[in-house]
Amino acid sequence: MTTNERPLRMLAPDSFRSVLSRRALFSAGTAAAGVVLLAACGDDSSSSSTEAPSGDGTTAPGDSAADTTGGGQTSELLSQFSNVVNKSSGALAMFTWGEYNDPEIIGALAEADLGVTMKVDYYPSNEELITKLSAANGNSGFDIVVPTGPYIPQMIEKGLLQKLDKAQLPNITNIDPQYLGRDWDPSNDYNVPKDWGSTGFIYDSTKVDRELTSWADFLDACMNEFSGRCSVLDSSNNVAGAYFWANGIDWTTEKTEDLDACEAFIVDELAPHLKGFDSYPSTAIAQGTYDCSMVWNGDARATYSRLVDAGLNPEDWKWVLGAPETELWMDNYCIPTGAPNPEAAHAWINWLLTPEVSIQDLSYHGYHSGMKMIDKLIAELAPDLTYPEMIFFTDEEVATMRTGSVNSSQDRIVEITDKAKAKAAG
Amino acid sequence: MSSADAPPAHRKRRGPKWGLAIPSLVWYTIFFIVPIAVIVVYSFGTKDSSELVPVDMANPTLQNYREVFSDLFFTVFQATLEIALTATFLCLVIGFPVAYFIAFKVSEKWRGLLLALVIIPSFTSFLIRTLAWKIPLSANGELSKWLQDMSWIDGPIDVLGTRTAVFIAIVYNYIGFMVLPLFVALDRIDPALREASKDLGANRSSTFASVTMPLAGPGIAAGVVLTFIPMCGDYVTGVILGGVKGLMVGTLIDSQFKGAQNWPQGSAMAVLMIVMVLLALVVMAGLFYLSRALIRLARPVVDSYRARPRKAPRVRRIPELLRPVLMIWTVLVLAFLFIPILLVIRHSFNSGSAFEIWGGEYTTVWWGGETQRSASGRLKAGLFDFADSGPMLVRFAVIMAIGLLLPAVVSKLRGRPVRALSRWSGVVAFGLAIVVNGLMTDWYSDIFQNAGVGDSLRGSFLAAFGATIIAVMLGGLSGVALARHPGKWARVFMGIVFLILVTPEIMDAIALAGWMQRIGGPFTSDFGPIPFGMLRLWVGQSLYASAVVTLIVRARLAGLDVALEEAAGDLGAPPGRAFRQITLPLISSALIAGGLLSFALCLDNTIISNLISGASSTFPVALISATKSEIAPFWGVGAVVLFVMTMGLLGFLASVLKKSGNSSSDIAATLGGG
Repeated sequence: MTTNERPLRMLAPDSFRSVLSRRALFSAGTAAAGVVLLAACGDDSSSSSTEAPSGDGTTAPGDSAADTTGGGQTSELLSQFSNVVNKSSGALAMFTWGEYNDPEIIGALAEADLGVTMKVDYYPSNEELITKLSAANGNSGFDIVVPTGPYIPQMIEKGLLQKLDKAQLPNITNIDPQYLGRDWDPSNDYNVPKDWGSTGFIYDSTKVDRELTSWADFLDACMNEFSGRCSVLDSSNNVAGAYFWANGIDWTTEKTEDLDACEAFIVDELAPHLKGFDSYPSTAIAQGTYDCSMVWNGDARATYSRLVDAGLNPEDWKWVLGAPETELWMDNYCIPTGAPNPEAAHAWINWLLTPEVSIQDLSYHGYHSGMKMIDKLIAELAPDLTYPEMIFFTDEEVATMRTGSVNSSQDRIVEITDKAKAKAAG
Repeated sequence: MSSADAPPAHRKRRGPKWGLAIPSLVWYTIFFIVPIAVIVVYSFGTKDSSELVPVDMANPTLQNYREVFSDLFFTVFQATLEIALTATFLCLVIGFPVAYFIAFKVSEKWRGLLLALVIIPSFTSFLIRTLAWKIPLSANGELSKWLQDMSWIDGPIDVLGTRTAVFIAIVYNYIGFMVLPLFVALDRIDPALREASKDLGANRSSTFASVTMPLAGPGIAAGVVLTFIPMCGDYVTGVILGGVKGLMVGTLIDSQFKGAQNWPQGSAMAVLMIVMVLLALVVMAGLFYLSRALIRLARPVVDSYRARPRKAPRVRRIPELLRPVLMIWTVLVLAFLFIPILLVIRHSFNSGSAFEIWGGEYTTVWWGGETQRSASGRLKAGLFDFADSGPMLVRFAVIMAIGLLLPAVVSKLRGRPVRALSRWSGVVAFGLAIVVNGLMTDWYSDIFQNAGVGDSLRGSFLAAFGATIIAVMLGGLSGVALARHPGKWARVFMGIVFLILVTPEIMDAIALAGWMQRIGGPFTSDFGPIPFGMLRLWVGQSLYASAVVTLIVRARLAGLDVALEEAAGDLGAPPGRAFRQITLPLISSALIAGGLLSFALCLDNTIISNLISGASSTFPVALISATKSEIAPFWGVGAVVLFVMTMGLLGFLASVLKKSGNSSSDIAATLGGG
């Protein structure tokens, strides 16, 4: 199984190397354990069909995965995907969110598969991304950025993004069409979806006598049982969103009376009970700082492994997807204007759209990468994936999710959050 | 050589007295005075997001100020003042006994060591140290469990996310800046004065109250200024540990500039923050003079000791309790300072996947070499690629060893070239090792396995290096001008330097961010081979650093006889030659000290760098972004690497100063900028 192994740039004994090869990783026990592990994914009746891919066990363990650069044996499933990998060269600079790609994919593997050397820098908010790109005026030096959907129109308007060359992105056909052509860029001239997720909350069920199932429950519990022990996301739209969703108001509302009511509730009623505005509360939860936190699904999933790290019982904590309505956000790969190495940027993005790489990355960050037939891919390539129900949602759940927008009420919503923070500090 | 004709001719060639300070004056005008003036102007503008500089000055308004005075934002100003005043007071109360102990109760040998121990923590990445406090303070942490097992506390520790955590973090980060000036002031007190007080019959407490304290006054004032002002502008420390309870004005200003893009509002907040700081300082100065006056009123009581001098010996016979108490206190404070650093080192070997949560076992995976994949599919990858970083270290060691051993081998030979070779071989070997390794590792990018942290480390070094060169050139020239050609201009210049040192960094940061945007050109694009952003960092970091170098050079030259340079002039040396052959060697140790100090300061520069950096990131800037998501333990590895390198530099600095005959007290004074 090590004969056609791609060289990995690391110092490790050969015996260990085989453990590290992603091919070996994904293929380990695929055939044998596939069916059993599918059962784990079974309660996930997500958008595409979930029938067990009984014909998948045809390839031998240890050699099952496709070789994306050609040659080798390709499984029946993977043969349905476009597997083009364009070689490139030079340095590739990406500006992205923290801990958002598998370190191998932005490191050794990119160099081995594509021949590019990656540089990575992080930003904590879309606003900061836009500030830095604007400040650079087309000379930021970055080749890839990862904005959230609703921010893309203003970035296009300000001339911060360049059009993609779709001829260099043949693997875009691997994406489930429902994730293409979103409002912010209907013909995908500027973006390729990276992944998407939703928002809910997580709470310590041993510290509350009732079951919390909706945003209204969340807000109520924050002001009662969890007063002074709860956090919301450090993201203005989500904080306001929780109020709008709980009260049946469209969270993209631009009506002044909605915003006034939102301010009155968030600033005067909710804020004094909050302990934090925290976009990634998983670490703080495991440290015992919060008992109830608003959280994105991927970070909620990460919370469970943190709890195990800290020696706590993950069973005590309950994840709830926001209801009756909640968010659907999508982060996207874009190429900024003036990118020094657009060719490598296209090659890398296209490479990320090959099933193997996409699923390896998904296993790291824990968000749905938008691949078609994703449950089958998971069954074949990453059967060990934990808490799949927190990554892949049912059709009913997806039906309650709403994409946001950056509209005329944006300034007001930022202001409301600033005021809420000031109030909570006092 | 006849002295009759030459000297007058040379004197005529002299430029204006302050000529050497012209580069600094220009630099400070362009990058400090004007930008801050522009911020004041912006504070009357309105937001216009369609522009690259999102400020519309067409309709000047006071609305921004009115907004800030609204109840909510005003509470944040109040909270900031409250936190900064309390924390300054705590720093003084906790730091004074330490400074007193080091100044009076230990021998010269121990003094140097203790001072070093107080200073060392200030030169490690303050963000990672602050983060490290989360480890012992966490409710589910080992300390909390242990205290509960011992039944010393009823429930888990509940400190994170409270004001208490904010105080711990802030006192921790700034106490070094209090102890140092206090020590310098106490150390300068002539022992004869305290002796005289004793001989005149004063007991220990009255000597302390009427001799030591008044003489320590300037140190207290300096310590308060050095801690209170930066605390007011701090925007990360409080938030990291105190969550929403640590919200301070700096955080609001930062979010107005980076998040809401409301520059006019942010500018108004910054202007009001400066006003608040100045008012607070005026009030504190008033209280200071008031208390001095009160002490003077109490003098007659002290004078009455004269009447009974014979009691004095009895006072001395009281068992010396003060020393052990002070010693224990100092040890506790040092432990307080070092606990987080030890935790950072330990957690860089953490088997868990989050820096703050100890996974129970030690692992080297975050350092490099073999990568691991956890059961949940998460890859644990280290910072270094041992395949490239290992050979690099070997090459470095070999070249340095040759360079250092060469002098011993050739020492038997004589002649000038040989002497020069043996003197410079160490430095040459160091440079050679840097270049050779650079060429062989694609300028060190190959030694890292983790692109993000590795690039930020490289960025830190590049930024600090460039800023230090600027700082040494500007500070060296203006320091010489200040020491050798004082005059009215010097007072103005020192005023500017003082302003640079005391303006809260967030103010400089937003001023520069806006200003560089307006200038455009090299600040908004690549500049020749210099990548976009690096120039911004060089300029931004050079301001504070050059002010420090100026003070150090000035202090060094002021202590040296001007006759040496005059003699050179009288002997016919042209000014340029006199500068090269006399002045430069005299200030070389000050330049090296200043350079290394500013290098260490720039390496950890966070606030300015974070707001102005373009595409070029530094370690603290990248870490700030990381604190808003998850922090993997390899950040700890990066911090340890920076720590080790900074320690090496400071060790070198101390040895240079020691060689040039300075005592540890002088070194401390130098580091303290006085």
